[in-house]
Amino acid sequence: MKKSNILLGLAGSLILISLVAWGYQIYNGLIVTNMRNSFSWGLYIATFAFFVGVAAGGLIVSSTVYLFNIEKLKPFTRIASLSAFASILGAGAMILPDMGRVDRIWNIFVYPNFRSPLVWDVIVISAYLLITFLSVYVQLLPDRKKEGSRFLNGWTKAHSQEEVEAFSKKWSKRIALVGLPVAILIHTVTALIFATQASRGWWNTAVLPPDFVSVAVASGTALVLVIALLAVGKEQFDQHKGAFQIMALIVAGSLVVHFFFVSVDLIIHGWWGSTEAKEILSLIFGHYRYLYATELLFPAFTMVLFFTEKGKRSYRVLMIGSVLLFIGVFAHRLMLMFPAFNAIPLSLSIPGAGIESWAYPVALGQLQEGMPVFVSSWAYTPTLVEYGVTLLPFGLVLFVVTAALKMYNFLPQKRSM
Amino acid sequence: MRLGMVIDLDRCIGCRSCAVACKSHNAQPPGTWWNRVFTPGASFHQAAVGKDGDLQMEYLPVSCQMCDNPACQKVCPSGATYTDERGVVLIDYERCIGCRYCIAACPYGVRQYNWEDSKKAKERAGYEKGYEYGYPADCRDKDGRLVYTPNRPVGVVEKCTFCAQYTSSGEQPACVKGCPGKVRIFGDLDDPSSEVSKLVRKRQTVRLKEELGTSPKVFYLAATKPIR
Ligand code: SF4
Ligand code: SF4
Repeated sequence: MKKSNILLGLAGSLILISLVAWGYQIYNGLIVTNMRNSFSWGLYIATFAFFVGVAAGGLIVSSTVYLFNIEKLKPFTRIASLSAFASILGAGAMILPDMGRVDRIWNIFVYPNFRSPLVWDVIVISAYLLITFLSVYVQLLPDRKKEGSRFLNGWTKAHSQEEVEAFSKKWSKRIALVGLPVAILIHTVTALIFATQASRGWWNTAVLPPDFVSVAVASGTALVLVIALLAVGKEQFDQHKGAFQIMALIVAGSLVVHFFFVSVDLIIHGWWGSTEAKEILSLIFGHYRYLYATELLFPAFTMVLFFTEKGKRSYRVLMIGSVLLFIGVFAHRLMLMFPAFNAIPLSLSIPGAGIESWAYPVALGQLQEGMPVFVSSWAYTPTLVEYGVTLLPFGLVLFVVTAALKMYNFLPQKRSM
Repeated sequence: MRLGMVIDLDRCIGCRSCAVACKSHNAQPPGTWWNRVFTPGASFHQAAVGKDGDLQMEYLPVSCQMCDNPACQKVCPSGATYTDERGVVLIDYERCIGCRYCIAACPYGVRQYNWEDSKKAKERAGYEKGYEYGYPADCRDKDGRLVYTPNRPVGVVEKCTFCAQYTSSGEQPACVKGCPGKVRIFGDLDDPSSEVSKLVRKRQTVRLKEELGTSPKVFYLAATKPIR
């Protein structure tokens, strides 16, 4: 398995680069990012939200198997759980470098404020991490017993292979069913971090949580699809065509729901015509139009591709469609930040001067030659350090998935079922 | 006790003395301002706004509005932001984990982050080495939480504390003392005989972004300039 060694090496170097960048950031402070007081969350939180999104797929695919009895998908439940575990691990890791005082992170556990959606998120994400780990663990039990592996497996010694297999089957199902609501919750709660804030008109909408769920179902399933495609390879593609078609359909279907939410959201933001809403719309269709177009058009293209008969049947189309979707969803996460932070909440109208919305300037938190201290918008673009740190979850996901695929049998055709 | 402030916009001359007093008394590093004064509508301070030759120039000082329903406190995952028994919203500089959720939550843009070590920031801005300004000692609340320290740690959030280091022993905040126009009145909103209570009762007051339901304890007396 030469290929997997290269991938592991790549993953290792991504992690290493990100740790070095993170170390540099810890030493100098978050001044090395391009975030400032008026634009206080950036690439890190967007990437975090992205990985929370793709983490859904695992349990959604495995639960569909049990809930709707879709046998065709069954061979992929292991890969699905693995992708979920890896992604949520990546999401959890991404949050850490965003904390200015990561050394005090324990304060969340010692003095939790249960009114904070961030605390809710810590709880559901930890739960999901545990559930997806157990899901992978339970599904691998029979194989690992056969191999005689003992790590975390000692207790199966006293049981026969059949018993272990029955146990694995029973508990895989139970975990998938318990996990489904938690999978929905991680998106709901992550969305609530934003949606609860009346200070930011772009976030403050009840459609955000359900929309997060729909995007998560689409992008999460697409991740399972990609890993599954890579794992079975072009050669065995035909054998599992049915499963891939179902996954493509799940992706396309949830994108329909997503676009429905997006349109409703835009209408509600736009129809009343308040100055705040107009400002947001002018940001998304003006200054950030290319990013917003990416967010809309890439997934729309994928949706169309995955609905066509030909598209669903082609390895290449499924692959390309999924990648386009990932890019679109990443743009979606970035677009959570730009319009929200560049529409300053404290805007005032001065009727006497005919001014409807004047943004009260915010102090940046940095004094630098030739740069104003007070601004009413901030052209945030991540710094090199931020890009470096952001490699962390990508490295972790690649590492966990490759290592697991290398060590254990996730591939359907080799399984004794 | 519910400490609050009334700001009489009729008397404000936009001199920014309060912002400077605030900045130096509270040892704010370069680029950080707990208290700002701007001319609403104008692209720079002290510029008139208007149309067809009808010009006007009002000023609006803004610092923490000391919300009774503070979004910043509700989102704070570690309880670093809290309201003390006097109704003052404070930050425990030893507990803040620097997640900046509160900055996103506050509708008034008053929260400031320590993006780098304040000593380093001062050096970089060209301040003389070893030059320190501001109240020199730490201030802790009755539970021992650090609510003022001259050089805040890197990676924590800070903002107006109603000058905790002064008002906890009955003195007035620096902005109130530093204002030449006696624009700012500070006191207990729970005490009906206090000047702030009387003003809030008798005069027409405005609170910023009232529609968001944050219930600020900073009240503005609108600039009236009667014309009839
Ligand atoms: S003005 Fe902002 S920082 Fe001050 S109490 Fe209100 S929400 Fe918190
Ligand atoms: S940055 Fe500090 S004060 Fe603000 S929410 Fe996070 S922990 Fe609380």
